[in-house]
Amino acid sequence: MLASCAIFSVRAMSDVLAVNAVNLTKTYGPLTAVDDITVQVAQGEVYGVLGPNGAGKTTFLRMLFGLIRPDAGTLEVFGRSWQRHGVNSLTGVAGFLESPKFYPALSGRRNLRLLAGLDGGDAAARINEVLDVVGLTDRQHDKVRGYSFGMRQRLGVASALLRDPRLLVLDEPANGLDPAGIRDMRALVRHLADTGLTVLLSSHDMAEVEQICDNVTIMKAGSVVHHGSIAALRELAPEQAHRITTTDDDRAAELARARGLEVSPVDDGLAVRGPQKDVDGLIGDIVDAGIALRGLTRDETPLEALFFMLTESAPAGPTTGLDAPTGARR
Amino acid sequence: MTTTTAVPAGTPTARRRPGTASVLRWEITKVAAQARSRALLIGAIVVPIAIVLIFNTQLPPKDTIYGRHIHTSGYAVPLFVLAFAHQWVLPLLAALVAGDIFANEDQYGTWKTILTRSVSRTQVFWAKTLTAVGVNLLVLALLAASTITTSLLVVGTQPLPGLSGQLIPAGSALPIVIASWATAVPPVLGFTALAILLSVITRNPTIGVAAPVVLGMIMQLLSGLGGLNKARQILLTTPFEAWHGLLTAHPFHAPITTGAIVSAGWLIICLALAYPYLRRRDITGG
Repeated sequence: MLASCAIFSVRAMSDVLAVNAVNLTKTYGPLTAVDDITVQVAQGEVYGVLGPNGAGKTTFLRMLFGLIRPDAGTLEVFGRSWQRHGVNSLTGVAGFLESPKFYPALSGRRNLRLLAGLDGGDAAARINEVLDVVGLTDRQHDKVRGYSFGMRQRLGVASALLRDPRLLVLDEPANGLDPAGIRDMRALVRHLADTGLTVLLSSHDMAEVEQICDNVTIMKAGSVVHHGSIAALRELAPEQAHRITTTDDDRAAELARARGLEVSPVDDGLAVRGPQKDVDGLIGDIVDAGIALRGLTRDETPLEALFFMLTESAPAGPTTGLDAPTGARR
Repeated sequence: MTTTTAVPAGTPTARRRPGTASVLRWEITKVAAQARSRALLIGAIVVPIAIVLIFNTQLPPKDTIYGRHIHTSGYAVPLFVLAFAHQWVLPLLAALVAGDIFANEDQYGTWKTILTRSVSRTQVFWAKTLTAVGVNLLVLALLAASTITTSLLVVGTQPLPGLSGQLIPAGSALPIVIASWATAVPPVLGFTALAILLSVITRNPTIGVAAPVVLGMIMQLLSGLGGLNKARQILLTTPFEAWHGLLTAHPFHAPITTGAIVSAGWLIICLALAYPYLRRRDITGG
């Protein structure tokens, strides 16, 4: 899927934030979709906005594109705000929200040509190149209604790249893709980020954000529950959990506790959490004790565990891990 | 007084934004690519030919204005078709593109695709409105041209009986017939604006297309009720009958003027409601 990316060049960075959203709030009747959030993304960052469905990620991104108006707060993109600069605030910004949508009766190329007409400049001259980047050259003349979900996602990336953006906003880009599509999409995003693009990516998949992003904001029920660097997040994360199934789970649990491991019963055995060396030692203890080990699997990754802790148990409210406006600028 | 807004350093240099003409070109290209639009334009040419040929083999429908004359004057046939068309055909033709042009972006979820580019909602609104107006005027022109041409070729260029019983010579009849069709322009534009309003507000192409036709029929019914003379004047269907004044022995143009004003009122009110609605609405779907 990846091809030459010569058309995307690294440009000089500056102190102007790519995204500067401060105390942003959006309500729909009694529902507060986004509640007083602050998100600041420096130029050149690959920034993740993470949260379960309904956390307010897409609402935030829609405000960034001026598709919906915030009820309170300010939002600037490269120092331009929608209120003062109107559609000019989208200069240098491109992306897609949820699944990208096109005119189904037109070919992929025709759709891009129409969109290039709305971009002005030399966008139309870039169609071949962006089709090549996303690997759709061979299917460019097919009608979009015949495209698979993954092809539409890639066409969405192509339509964004037409604008020669400095900030690429991708809302759940791997959503609905098969494993190969997810791998290709992540590689494409990482590749684009390596060219110097600022990337703002929303996702509900911690593993995706962990692989791609430098910094992350985690949202729950419209509020920010954490933001900071991925490295800082790792420090906050619990130990790796393992799932153990034996012929004598009660005895195995005693052995685990004796090693200082955190143990909790689960449907098919025990969940054991602690340093890897102690888990390795526990396996030896179990075997030495004459207990048969029937299963040993890794549970969610530490960051995934932290994500679930933050978004399922912690009440939405004050953020954690903050000592500066953005983890990226710390 | 002029104000300038400082652009911070590091801000991407603004590329030249496309003007409204570019957005108009985009919309026209999109509409032209739709099978329905092409079918509409082809239908505006072909259907009148079929209708004229069919009626030429039937007994004249004497209960409709100019129905009794369709076999005796080729100029009577377009007027008979016009009288029939204004009941629901012209509102439907006006709504086919206009009632869909905004709502189909909701249907396809493409508002977010368009409005994340370098164009404002104002540009998109006027591009779509001008496209709908242009298509509808083209359809009306094709419909009129096809009907008049076919009628004259099939039936002939005999003198046209006037509504006062006078006989209008063939040489004078053609401009009057063309002018009669031209009087349909203001109410067609009014229905176009009504369809645009419904398309913008309901976000539903079916309602955008069907509701103007239903409303037109309700207006026809209301105009038939007694005691509603004042109210009848402000109905959008009344201007469709303004051409009757052109065919009397002493032509009168007041209904055409009134019809144009009423249609303009509908057009302005509908667009004045639709425009701020589109500008302010949150784009949440898709």
